[in-house]
Amino acid sequence: MILSSYNRLMHLLAFIICSFLLCAHSDVPRPRGVSLSKASLYSPTKDFTCFDGTVTIPFSYVNDDYCDCFDGSDEPGTSACLNAVFHCTNAGHRPQNIPSSRVNDGVCDCCDGTDEYAGPDACPNTCEELGREARAEALRLAELHKEGSQIRLELIEKGNKRRSEMAEQLAQLDKDKSEAETIKAEKEAIKNELELKENEALKVYREAEEQEKQKKAEEENQQTIKDATEQFNRFDSNQDGQLSVEEIKVVNVFDKNKDGEVDQEEYQHFFGESENVNLKSFISTTWPMLKPLLMMEQGMFKPAEEEHESVRETDADDLSRELENEDLEGAEDENMDDSDLPHEEDDLDLEQDHAKGYDEETQTLVNEATEARRQFTDAERAIREIESSIQNIQQNLEKDYGLQQEFATLDGECFEYEDKEYIYKLCMFQKMTQKSKNGGSEVGLGNWGEWGGEENKKYSVMKYTNGLACWNGPNRITTVNIHCGLETKMLSVTEPFRCEYKVELSTPAACDNNVSQTHTAHDEL
Amino acid sequence: MKTLGALLVFSLAFAGSLAVDRNNFKTCEQSGFCKRLRSLKPEKSQYSLNLDTVIVHGNVLTAEVNTVDTETEKRIILWNYALKLTALVDGTFRVELDEADPLYPRYRTQFSLDGEPKCDSLKLVSSEKGVVTVVNGQGHKVLITAEPFKLEFLDQAGDVAVVVNGNAQLEVEPLKVKEEGGDEDDSSRGENFKSHHDSKPRGNEAVSLDVTFPEADHVYGIPEHTDNFALRTTSGGEPYRLYNLDVFEYELDSRMALYGAIPVMYAHGSKRTTGVFWHNSAETWVDVVNYAEGTVVSSLVNLVTGGQKKQVDARFMSESGIVDMFVMLGNRPKDVFRQYTRLTGVMPLPPKFSIAYHQSRWNYVDENDVRQVDDNFDVHDMPVDAIWLDIEYTDRKMYFTWDAEKFPHPADMVANLTAKGRKLIAIIDPHIKREAGYFLHEDATENGYYVKDKDGKDYEGWCWPGSSSYLDFFDPRVTKYYSERYQFKNFPGTSKDVHIWNDMNEPSVFNGPEITMPKDCRHYKPPQDGHDGLASFWEHRHVHNEYGLGHIRGTHQGMLDRADGKYRPFILTRSAFAGTQRYAAVWTGDNMAEWGFLAVSIPQCLSMSVAGISFCGSDVGGFFKYPEAELMTRWYQAGSLQPFFRAHSHIETKRREPWLYAPATAALIRDALRRRYALIDYWYTLFYEHSVDGLPIMRPMFHDYPEEEETFDIQDQYLLGDEFLVRPVTEPGVTSVKVYLPGKATRTLWYDVDSYHAHAANGYFTQDVNIAKIPLYQRGGSVVPRKERVRRSSALMAADPYTLVVALDANNTAHGSLYIDDGETYEFRNNKYIYAHIDYEPSAITYSFVNSANYPTRSWVERIVIAGIKSPPKTAKLVQADKQLALQMTLHKGNDVLVVRKPAASMAQPWRIVFSY
Repeated sequence: MILSSYNRLMHLLAFIICSFLLCAHSDVPRPRGVSLSKASLYSPTKDFTCFDGTVTIPFSYVNDDYCDCFDGSDEPGTSACLNAVFHCTNAGHRPQNIPSSRVNDGVCDCCDGTDEYAGPDACPNTCEELGREARAEALRLAELHKEGSQIRLELIEKGNKRRSEMAEQLAQLDKDKSEAETIKAEKEAIKNELELKENEALKVYREAEEQEKQKKAEEENQQTIKDATEQFNRFDSNQDGQLSVEEIKVVNVFDKNKDGEVDQEEYQHFFGESENVNLKSFISTTWPMLKPLLMMEQGMFKPAEEEHESVRETDADDLSRELENEDLEGAEDENMDDSDLPHEEDDLDLEQDHAKGYDEETQTLVNEATEARRQFTDAERAIREIESSIQNIQQNLEKDYGLQQEFATLDGECFEYEDKEYIYKLCMFQKMTQKSKNGGSEVGLGNWGEWGGEENKKYSVMKYTNGLACWNGPNRITTVNIHCGLETKMLSVTEPFRCEYKVELSTPAACDNNVSQTHTAHDEL
Repeated sequence: MKTLGALLVFSLAFAGSLAVDRNNFKTCEQSGFCKRLRSLKPEKSQYSLNLDTVIVHGNVLTAEVNTVDTETEKRIILWNYALKLTALVDGTFRVELDEADPLYPRYRTQFSLDGEPKCDSLKLVSSEKGVVTVVNGQGHKVLITAEPFKLEFLDQAGDVAVVVNGNAQLEVEPLKVKEEGGDEDDSSRGENFKSHHDSKPRGNEAVSLDVTFPEADHVYGIPEHTDNFALRTTSGGEPYRLYNLDVFEYELDSRMALYGAIPVMYAHGSKRTTGVFWHNSAETWVDVVNYAEGTVVSSLVNLVTGGQKKQVDARFMSESGIVDMFVMLGNRPKDVFRQYTRLTGVMPLPPKFSIAYHQSRWNYVDENDVRQVDDNFDVHDMPVDAIWLDIEYTDRKMYFTWDAEKFPHPADMVANLTAKGRKLIAIIDPHIKREAGYFLHEDATENGYYVKDKDGKDYEGWCWPGSSSYLDFFDPRVTKYYSERYQFKNFPGTSKDVHIWNDMNEPSVFNGPEITMPKDCRHYKPPQDGHDGLASFWEHRHVHNEYGLGHIRGTHQGMLDRADGKYRPFILTRSAFAGTQRYAAVWTGDNMAEWGFLAVSIPQCLSMSVAGISFCGSDVGGFFKYPEAELMTRWYQAGSLQPFFRAHSHIETKRREPWLYAPATAALIRDALRRRYALIDYWYTLFYEHSVDGLPIMRPMFHDYPEEEETFDIQDQYLLGDEFLVRPVTEPGVTSVKVYLPGKATRTLWYDVDSYHAHAANGYFTQDVNIAKIPLYQRGGSVVPRKERVRRSSALMAADPYTLVVALDANNTAHGSLYIDDGETYEFRNNKYIYAHIDYEPSAITYSFVNSANYPTRSWVERIVIAGIKSPPKTAKLVQADKQLALQMTLHKGNDVLVVRKPAASMAQPWRIVFSY
């Protein structure tokens, strides 16, 4: 079919007439696409001035399918202006404003079909049907909210109860704390007293220990002098009580650099500047340097000398045993269940050693002091535990559980949702996690952050933030959209953006009879 | 779409700066034949023509060519070759050189030519002093010198335009029986690269030819590379490589091979434009020497020849096949571009939606996601014509299936899109998941449809689905079978409004040598040469660069057949070869969200365009990484003025649909989208005209200004048709850009499309820019049709009225054209279309049909904008059929713009508006 230009023009003319005389659905005559509230701005008896005031045109140019106004106000009923808006009344349903680019584009956007008047196919008026559905839906929602609100009231009650319980708990804990502090003070006093006694009793043992130590040192010293003297006498070939250069020269051990002779430098190294060395300075100066060399020397060149040999062997055995022990410990670390038996034995030995050391009276004092210390520590711990409980409750009391505490009972409750690959777990006011069905560890998708709804709807969105970091990306976060429902459960979990999860959650806590009533009223307009 | 990267991504991609791993890809030195041939620089050709054997018959000259041992005086003939010189229509010659009696047939590239080229006449003019002279019907002479063998192609003025084998680099390695034992280092015995061994069953079989372009300033073409549009001298560096490869995180300013390989090269100087098409589908390397470049080589030459020598030499080296070169003698740019498309075909008129805006991402995860994206375009009042689905829609990467969890109702999803005139584009890759029970795998296994390995077993590689095999599109049975997979009943959920994306068709093989198929894999060969041994199959090395072309041929046939040939298919392919344009659009692969990649998209697509692939674009925003607001804005602005306009992104990047940016940025993106849609019929007309004349849609500046030397190496601006000059802003933070306005000699005016301010052409000028500015100029003397009522999709704008923008030239005239049809069917072949001229003269503007075709469009003219009008008319009157109507006009004195108000003339009939003064 080919439209002639004449037909085309007639067609257009028809639109123009139609657009403000015949086609308005309301009683007030107004150009096509104009809402009732703006009808007064279009007066057929006057020239039309664009809303922005820039241009005045004959009224016949209004809705003539040509854009004259920069603000699009002359073409409310056509698609001529890109920035204009088309109003459909949608009698029986909600009215709608659509961009004028949707007028006559072949897609039915308004349920009353008024946006498609030029094309070959008219749009059916579906407003009644849609309105009915919408009203039914609104009714359903209202019912849901109503029913849910009952549960919500219970939740509020529970929440408030829980809150007052917590307040009570807090008061009790405060009391407990001061009691515990009293106990702690008592225990501390006892402990201090007993420790004083214990110290006194142990003093004797400490002194004895000190003496023992000194004795041992003296013995060692004597041994050193004995050994040194022995060697000194060996080197002092002329037995004059002095070691001379000549005497030293024949002793291999002083040949530090192993060049076959003991030169001046080597002599000085061991004996200093003086020509002769007596026993006293030999013991104090030379012997400490000489002893290790001598031992090495003997080890190397006199393997037959049994005493030294056995010492060496023992050392080596100890060393290898230590190494074995280390290996063993390494193995134990990996295999903790195979137990710390050797260590326990060691500890036992140690205590037994001590136990053996004290007389009965002292031992009693030590035991009493130990017990007092333990009781004091327990008292301290008790306070810490109470403080922690207090802090916990205070945190919970500070948590925002909604205007009427309606979310309070949900704190700590966990809900699961499964999709093809994952199991998601949301613990309210705690955290959101994800676990692959194929195994692997749990991935944190966010910890409780804050309420995130827009103003007036603050409690419609929960934000869980700072989950596990995506590699080279941000930390995972979860946004929970909350809807009214008779049961608290996750309806869906998606990842619309990388590492940003979205949960749709239904809960009676979000049901609000008042809100639903106003909604319904608005919808029915 | 994406590369092997996804697998590597966890280990390296985001660890530091992104960059290509060059170790995965061969250098010339690592490619046996390139190393062998490149070092071959004889002083004198070993090849000579046997004058006694010259026969000229019809349009063909045949003769014997021999290689002669020049070491001795005895002139021992080493090998015999058959030369064939064919004269083709439109100033084109074809030079073929094959062995006279090869051991078995050498491969001849199969898919790139658009049928047998049409012939011109060829006459023997003379044969004297060792030179044979022939002439074609257009007066182009060819002088063939017997020894040293060379061919000189003369332009119509009798000057040498192209010389073939002037540098004696002709080489055809004869096929020989493989000897047992022999030299261990002999590359004919096989080659190794990294852990891969190429058995080379046929031994060495490389070919090479050099070509000289006297008086040329530059050579262009041989995409796909990220190097300059005007090619650079390769001496001392790597040659340009042509080998279709999936290069993960490819780099800029590189001659490395990429996804596409189109062996056509053009030479341009102010005197003439010529070109050569190296008809070979094997791995190819191309050396270029431009004597005008300040390199050591050329300065030496200049020293010798005295003065600046204008000449470019090039050399093509391929691993196998025969010498087969088309010489195109131009001699203007538009002639030579047309000549090339006469050989390999034009891009046929695509469905209209495909030149609008495409929204893609790897991946829109499920049906709900698709719906949300679709809805959000409406919520934010942005137009879009197609939503794309990357590989994740499939059931575990088994193509022609759907993930039943995420896409349980594909037909409903498609219907939801088409209700608003939108389309779905789904990906189909050539690798086939080797899984028992997968119908495609079972059919292919049972019927022997897979490419075979060197031992004749089904080749197994690794790709997205894991273990995969690859269909052998060289077997006509496979192509037929594959095309049938696109039947609606075989691909449930699809309809005529589901179009196809063929990716990974280089082919990409994650564990193969250079991320592709081993060269010694076997392809189907028609059994005429026997069923046994080397004569019974082609190796992958012979066909590599046209594998992807075979793939899209199958898809194209399938999409035609599924709707009984009624609807035009749209296909996007990543790999490309000569002839790809007949089936598919091409994009520049997996680029990066960096300014350099935005800038290089222009030379990349200019190179593609002159190589016949006008339907070219880059991933808007960049595939890897995330584009910040400024880059994203500039990319949308640039993309809106490139033929293929699609946003796409990597699965691991942040989501970036336009509305996810701040409102100010989203508004700028909306503006760019609207500009595209307002010009949608202009674009459609360009695509139609391309399908007729083969001229690039995106044109290099020298296309229309071949004598202005300043234009020769411009690659940051281009022409759209001959109406617009585009200089996208591709630099961050700039407040002005330099724009070259050509055509001073012809007093050309360039109108800024935002202000209608006319700039008189005078070379470079400085254009101030802010973030909203897209430097775009309409040439004085042109008429451009616009549709100002931008709707949700281009289909919904079909009946909308036109605004005609008339930009006057210095003589106060302007001309334009307009193509209208139904936008999706082949009914235009039955004359159901309008192709109209719009001519403005001071006395009248006329809308007239070029032929008797017609189409019942409901469109009309709502506005005529006449820019640059110095003395406006007093009255205007529309005359259409027997109706007349006086029209209102408004003059905007500030910028000399006259607006004719609402002629309301139907575009279904011619009309005329008469002006009186």
